[in-house]
Amino acid sequence: MAPSSLNVMLKGSSGRSTRGLLRVIILCTIAAAAVSSRLFSVIRFESIIHEFDPWFNFRATKYLIENGFYSFWDWFDDRTWHPLGRVTGGTLYPGLMVTSGVIYHILRLLTIPVDIRNICVLLAPGFSGLTALAMYLLTSEMSTSPSAGLLAAAFMGITPGYISRSVAGSYDNEAIAIFLLVFTFYLWIKAVKNGSIMWGALTALFYGYMVSAWGGYVFITNLIPLHVFVLLCMGRYSNRVYISYTTWYALGTLGSMQIPFVGFLPIRNSDHMSALGVFGLIQLVAFAEFIRTYLPGKEFQKLLTSMILLTVGLGFGGLVLLSVSGVIAPWSGRFYSLWDTGYAKIHIPIIASVSEHQPTAWPAFFFDLNFLIWLFPAGVFMCFQKLKDEHVFVVIYAVLASYFAGVMVRLMLTLTPIVCVAAALALSSILDSFLVASTPSSSSEAKEKPTAEDKSLRSTRKPVVGIYSFFSKSVVVGSVIVYLLLFVAHCTWVTSNAYSSPSVVLASKLPDGSQYIIDDYREAYYWLRQNTPDNAKIMAWWDYGYQIGGMADRPTLVDNNTWNNTHIATVGKAMSSREEVSYPILRQHDVDYVLVVFGGLLGYSGDDLNKFLWMVRIAEGIWPDEVKERDFFTARGEYRVDEEATPAMKNSLMYKMSYHNFQSLFPPGQAMDRVRGTKVPKESPQLNTLEEAFTSENWIVRLYKVKDLDNLGRDHSSAVAFDKGLKRKRATKHKGPRVLRTE
Amino acid sequence: MRWCLTLFICCFLAAVNALSSSGSRLLAVLEDTEQKDLYSTLWADLEARGYDVSFESPKSDQLALFKHGERAYDHLLILPPKSKGLGPSLTPKHILDFMNKDGNILLALSGKSATSSSISSLLLELDIHLSTDRSHVVVDHFNYDTLSAAEKHDVLVVQRPGPLRPDVKAFFDGEGVLALPRVAPHTLGYDSVLLSPILKSPATAYSYNPKEGTPAPEDILATGSQLNLVSAMQARNSARFTVLGSVEALEDQWFSAEVKTPNGKKTPTVNREFAKQLTAWAFKETGVLKVDKVEHRLATEGAELNPSIYRIKNETVYNIEISEYVYDKWVPFEVPGDDELQLEFTMLSPFHRLNLQPIHRTDTSTVFSAQFVTPDQHGIFSFRVNYKRPFFTAIEENHEVTVRHFAHDEYPRSWAITGGWVWIAGLWSVIGGFLAFVVVWLYSAPVVDKLKKSQ
Repeated sequence: MAPSSLNVMLKGSSGRSTRGLLRVIILCTIAAAAVSSRLFSVIRFESIIHEFDPWFNFRATKYLIENGFYSFWDWFDDRTWHPLGRVTGGTLYPGLMVTSGVIYHILRLLTIPVDIRNICVLLAPGFSGLTALAMYLLTSEMSTSPSAGLLAAAFMGITPGYISRSVAGSYDNEAIAIFLLVFTFYLWIKAVKNGSIMWGALTALFYGYMVSAWGGYVFITNLIPLHVFVLLCMGRYSNRVYISYTTWYALGTLGSMQIPFVGFLPIRNSDHMSALGVFGLIQLVAFAEFIRTYLPGKEFQKLLTSMILLTVGLGFGGLVLLSVSGVIAPWSGRFYSLWDTGYAKIHIPIIASVSEHQPTAWPAFFFDLNFLIWLFPAGVFMCFQKLKDEHVFVVIYAVLASYFAGVMVRLMLTLTPIVCVAAALALSSILDSFLVASTPSSSSEAKEKPTAEDKSLRSTRKPVVGIYSFFSKSVVVGSVIVYLLLFVAHCTWVTSNAYSSPSVVLASKLPDGSQYIIDDYREAYYWLRQNTPDNAKIMAWWDYGYQIGGMADRPTLVDNNTWNNTHIATVGKAMSSREEVSYPILRQHDVDYVLVVFGGLLGYSGDDLNKFLWMVRIAEGIWPDEVKERDFFTARGEYRVDEEATPAMKNSLMYKMSYHNFQSLFPPGQAMDRVRGTKVPKESPQLNTLEEAFTSENWIVRLYKVKDLDNLGRDHSSAVAFDKGLKRKRATKHKGPRVLRTE
Repeated sequence: MRWCLTLFICCFLAAVNALSSSGSRLLAVLEDTEQKDLYSTLWADLEARGYDVSFESPKSDQLALFKHGERAYDHLLILPPKSKGLGPSLTPKHILDFMNKDGNILLALSGKSATSSSISSLLLELDIHLSTDRSHVVVDHFNYDTLSAAEKHDVLVVQRPGPLRPDVKAFFDGEGVLALPRVAPHTLGYDSVLLSPILKSPATAYSYNPKEGTPAPEDILATGSQLNLVSAMQARNSARFTVLGSVEALEDQWFSAEVKTPNGKKTPTVNREFAKQLTAWAFKETGVLKVDKVEHRLATEGAELNPSIYRIKNETVYNIEISEYVYDKWVPFEVPGDDELQLEFTMLSPFHRLNLQPIHRTDTSTVFSAQFVTPDQHGIFSFRVNYKRPFFTAIEENHEVTVRHFAHDEYPRSWAITGGWVWIAGLWSVIGGFLAFVVVWLYSAPVVDKLKKSQ
């Protein structure tokens, strides 16, 4: 009874709709799994924004909701980059904020009052569900097998490479950008396949959305032209390609130029030149194709060679001329660092100082992608076998993304989708071969041949060989199931342990195993919020800028939007110089409080003293005569903070602020820095121009108030000496002529 | 109405009592009543000007500058003690704290005996230097009183000082000569901007320790105008500290004495007049500036007052209303002689530095104004008036405003820019050409059919 009813449901026209229903259910389940596996941090801690960057996005979203779209568009933010301010409305990618703003207003319209914070926290998991769907669509375009799309969707849903940037609370641009990336590629493939203006226009629309959401849109801007270029080189020019590409390029470029931050970059920046070049090239090719139908072969050959020479000459000359005259902007530093991993370290310390921009370590590939990483080449190989237009795309994407993922940790994110596609293609073809393909014994041809040679061995009479044997089927399918189960276990483990701990709140375990939450950041930011005037300027290293702006709501000098290197270098100089040098800088920038992060008591290694060399390097880039990295290393080239630290180190503001009064926590002479693992000097450093205002429970965040000028016109060191009861020495007699006072 | 009432009360108070702008509680620190009687005219003058003068001995247990953490007095007049120091409740630290809390101090020194070391170290904190042995006396062999110091030449006879610089208002000028007996001189730190000399010694004066006989050239503290007889120091919070080298000049006998220079006539001293000028300045009866009101707005009619945000290239008006206190009333402030009151519009460094012009005068104040266009640079700017001059209390007004960029709808529209017409024409000609092409294309189709048929 049961098998027959199953047959009814799975075969024929009703079978098709049953399979459709099953597919929908499976996709919904995958989306639900994708969402729920990202909720670890919300369940374990609370519904808050985690990292550094999301705090700015959150603040911008709140501004958008409070002030409306137009004032968001024209937003001049006077609470960051004091005193320069930031034209925030024109220097951000508004897609993320607008998306959550729209969701917020729709929910309000439906009379569902949801706090904007919860929308922001849950936006990334929500969009990851959509990404899984988009992945299904994209992969289904690549393969006729129905299982490939579902597998790809499942992979995309839970692979750690994507989860790392989309857990609940990581309200970052990538949260929606990866969905848009995958969906744009799906539309592009659709457009190329059908040669349809509609699909091309839809591609352009989502490309525009992508541009508004993430700076990584440049990847699409270069990948699609490259796809077209390779197709042209393979001699696969067709009207389909022409229609889809020209539609996409014209509409997409216009769309991207609507974002103020992008503006005229698509026609002026070198990063976008390949799209423009291919656009021109495809016109020429189309023209040549048109001519070819009217001209005999020999003359056409002549025309073609002369045209190619002329075009290349003109194009190259024009490019050089425009680059030299500065109309086309030179390649950006981030771009160079993509080709030469050492470039940033030498030329742009500010880019190199971000851990995301470091080259990827090999284990990271396995950590983020597990068994997909070795299925990936197999999938790419299978694309070579078919090599239709869309498979060419997969191959190009795979090659480019693998390279970039190796150069920068952060670009692992762009590699993940194509790995999921390729792995799903490979795995589905394995499964199809071993599960679906039935033994071809029932066919008449196969039956007749053996009868002719009936006298052979009985065992070879009915050969159940290779993939048709039950044994091989069960071994392969069984091992695939084991791999899949291991993959799920690995993904859950990685998500739970590596990617779900918020950096705002640190969790640690007490000896008895219970959880202990270290909440110093929020403690300090709330202290600032409640004890300082509304416009008290806080100086801190740029890592903490967004958090201070978001949580403490106080103006900062520099923040994670590193648009002004000189300003950051100024802060670096103030941190790495003597007090006498730093104090005028602090005064000039109206600084009221200085914030440092110090992990020496707790062993929190991400503190400012460990980042200190980057401050020195960035400051040295602007003032090579005043700040020198060499001065912070001992004669033997060691970076030390103990008794043998260099004078430059000991006198730097950062060192003094970090260790001020630290010694008083310990018995005399036993003060220990648990991060650097060294003893610190017995004497506490003497701070004259700053006074300690607040130190958090575990000493992670320390706040110092900048003193006003001395009321009586003395310098701070003698004022402090006087307050301590030391008598001022008379100025020793000058050897030279007496300096006379003139009025 | 309220304004009239306030004015009335002010006038009434002024008629009854001249009063310092910063309170009337004056503490005179002196050793004993015998000393007090020497200065009876001074006390009478001060009380007549409205001060509640209390007297304490430096050794007294009652003496305390602070009560419950607040100042117990507004002003402090310290006469040189006979004993070594000023006692435990007048340590340099107490006195500096008193200044940090806006208290004014007039310190008198005397060349009769060595100055105590605690006073010396107090003065050192303020960058005022005494001689190493603290017992120098100024002598001048050309400007001395022949009647009282024919031998020692240590009673100086000097003119009252004029303005310190052409751009500084003179608070101590006038006719007549001063007699300054046995001045303990001091020099001022060469680069301190808070210090200003009130009375410098004549060019021919020098100082030495009379007990050590003839001085060696290297022992001389200073000579001529580098040697100060009376000096003033205004802290950043405008608390005033005045050093008077000769306490004897305040004694009754010198208020009414007559002096004669070696080649001059016998003239009465104007010490009493000078003492009034000096105490009035020291205790903030003169030279006190007050900012009544600061206004900034767009130059357009009916613009919002003191907005927190401007745009680049806005025409902006800044007004500041300043009064000056003269003995018993607020009067309109006038910028002295060569000086200018300046407004800075600054972000990291000034983008504008403009002279403020007086545009309006009320009974008690002057309104200064400047109009300018905000620079083509967005950021967080400040309207800053930083007027710090010798003998005037400091004016430091800092008003932070944001200067934003053009909003998206504040640029001129494309057709308003004549240079853009070429491009607009190009745009529409392309659109028109395309439409024309489409029309031609659509309607030229049948012709092809005919040709095909004929073939």
